Amino acid sequence: MNIKTAFFLAITSIKRGNKGTLAMTILIMTLAYVNLVFIASIFGGIVEAINKEAVDNQYSNIVIEPAIDEKYINNKDAIRQIETIPKIIGVSSHYIDNPIVKYDEHKDNKDVKSSRWILKSINPPDEKKVTKIHESIIEGSFLETTDRNQILIGKEIAGGYGGDLDHLSLGVSVGDEIDVFFNNGINRSYIVKGIFSTKSTQADQMLFITKKEMESILKVHNWASEILVKIEDTGNEDVYIEQIRELGLKKEDIKKWSDLMGFTSGASKSFTMISIILGVIGTVVAGVTIFIIIFVSVVNKRKQIGILKAIGMEEDTIILYFVIQALFYGVVGVVLGVSLILFVIRPFFISNPLDFPVGWVSLKVTFNIIKISNLSLIGAALIGGFFPAYRGAKESILKSIWG
Amino acid sequence: MIIEVKNLKKTYEGAVPTYALKKINFGVEKGEFIALMGRSGSGKSTLLHQLGLLDTPTAGEVIMNGINLMSLTEKQKSKFRLEKLGYVFQSYALLPELTALESVYLPLMLSNVSKKIYIKKATEMLKKVGLAERLHHLPKEMSGGEQQRVAIARALVNNPMILFADEPTANLDTESSKVILKLFRELNKEIGQTIIMVTHEPDDKKYVDRVIWLKDGAIEKE
Repeated sequence: MNIKTAFFLAITSIKRGNKGTLAMTILIMTLAYVNLVFIASIFGGIVEAINKEAVDNQYSNIVIEPAIDEKYINNKDAIRQIETIPKIIGVSSHYIDNPIVKYDEHKDNKDVKSSRWILKSINPPDEKKVTKIHESIIEGSFLETTDRNQILIGKEIAGGYGGDLDHLSLGVSVGDEIDVFFNNGINRSYIVKGIFSTKSTQADQMLFITKKEMESILKVHNWASEILVKIEDTGNEDVYIEQIRELGLKKEDIKKWSDLMGFTSGASKSFTMISIILGVIGTVVAGVTIFIIIFVSVVNKRKQIGILKAIGMEEDTIILYFVIQALFYGVVGVVLGVSLILFVIRPFFISNPLDFPVGWVSLKVTFNIIKISNLSLIGAALIGGFFPAYRGAKESILKSIWG
Repeated sequence: MIIEVKNLKKTYEGAVPTYALKKINFGVEKGEFIALMGRSGSGKSTLLHQLGLLDTPTAGEVIMNGINLMSLTEKQKSKFRLEKLGYVFQSYALLPELTALESVYLPLMLSNVSKKIYIKKATEMLKKVGLAERLHHLPKEMSGGEQQRVAIARALVNNPMILFADEPTANLDTESSKVILKLFRELNKEIGQTIIMVTHEPDDKKYVDRVIWLKDGAIEKE
């Protein structure tokens, strides 16, 4: 095989061949590459948005729940010490109840709307460190530490904000008074202080009152029904869980957010699977495209192949000559595609994320996606270039020259 | 003897087999300029293709400089074509994307000659065929006669043992044809180049040493 001559012929052919065909081929390769990266990245973005919503508005990074036979986490020292673990950003203890919430608009016991919802208590400054509910207020304001007769409610409970459960909602606005019937028999009235809307339907079905208020109802102090823990490095939860256990929370049920995803975790896996399937289809399409381009080139250069063989060029060198051309199309497609993705498409989606029901979705372009797409397109170029070249090079000299 | 052809046969199989060459025997001395002549379908081009390793005979032997060509593998045949044989085809057979100089140094490049030498040798060869002013021209920028002279330069640049020419003037006007045939004659006389040429022009006889007449796949007369 004469690599130098194969390179010389390939480069000369690209340089002096039809410029329109060259531009069209490179355009197709670039679009094939962008297609590969875009599909994987958009699905990656959807999965990331689902996860982000769960972390930001529901679970934070780590959720500590009471031991299986306990109602509360009552190891006060341990709860206090969690915050002292390095790289833990925040800790928020919740009491949870499942009260009946009623709204009697005209105070006449007519048309009373009521339903059971999940109510959690929070210490507002702590909560701000672990979730982003406080950034999702659409009407009114977030709770203050000293608030006692005020309540924060999700848009699904309030109603009228385009939620999925409007038929169950109370139809209340900020300033309205609602009655809460706790499971221990106590009932209290609260003024709606704020209404929040996240991208998580589950989060939007919750009510929040202050910790002080809840402790006065439950008659407990510094215990918790659940504790949310926010860490600096998402993905590294297991390390912190170990450290939390060492504080004395041995029997408590400690989970990372991804263990609690349930349905959404299944959806994430499905998106990943769809992304892989579409990626494989995209790669095959790119490979077939290169195959057709090289096949047409081989057919057009059939006579030239015969001449090259007649003057003594080996078949291997002829195959390499066409494979180099295919590789050139692939590599240029990758370079232009990467540039287009990184400098045009990705910045555009970062500035203009898509409004999906699961969250704000942008492109999640990872090194892994880039690496796999590069290998896929260049692999497709190699295979797509090799077979027609092999077929052309194996044809007899006389048949190549005279048909 | 530089070429010995023994009982060479070429049959194209099919429902009705075509016997293109029937038991051909002849020899070629070094430095001879031979014309293969005959009517269309007489087998002259087929014979040239068998001698030039462009096709494989059905039976018989072609011994070139002591080497039985039938015993060579495909790789060895490629090497033999590159190093020992030169070809000039009827339709110029140049690569449209290569300049005259590039076309001519291509066989040298394949022989792994250094860049400095292959440019020097190709330039000299193009000067020899009268194309010193056309080194960097593409085929589309040259006349038919000029393109054929580029093809001749390419065929000769590796100093082949034998030059094969398949109706090299068929596509050329009378003047260009004369230039090509005179060039062959000069090369034959000056450097002793062995040439085997297929032609159907009776006038071409005056340029060659010997004419082998073929008829229906057999040698009719010499």
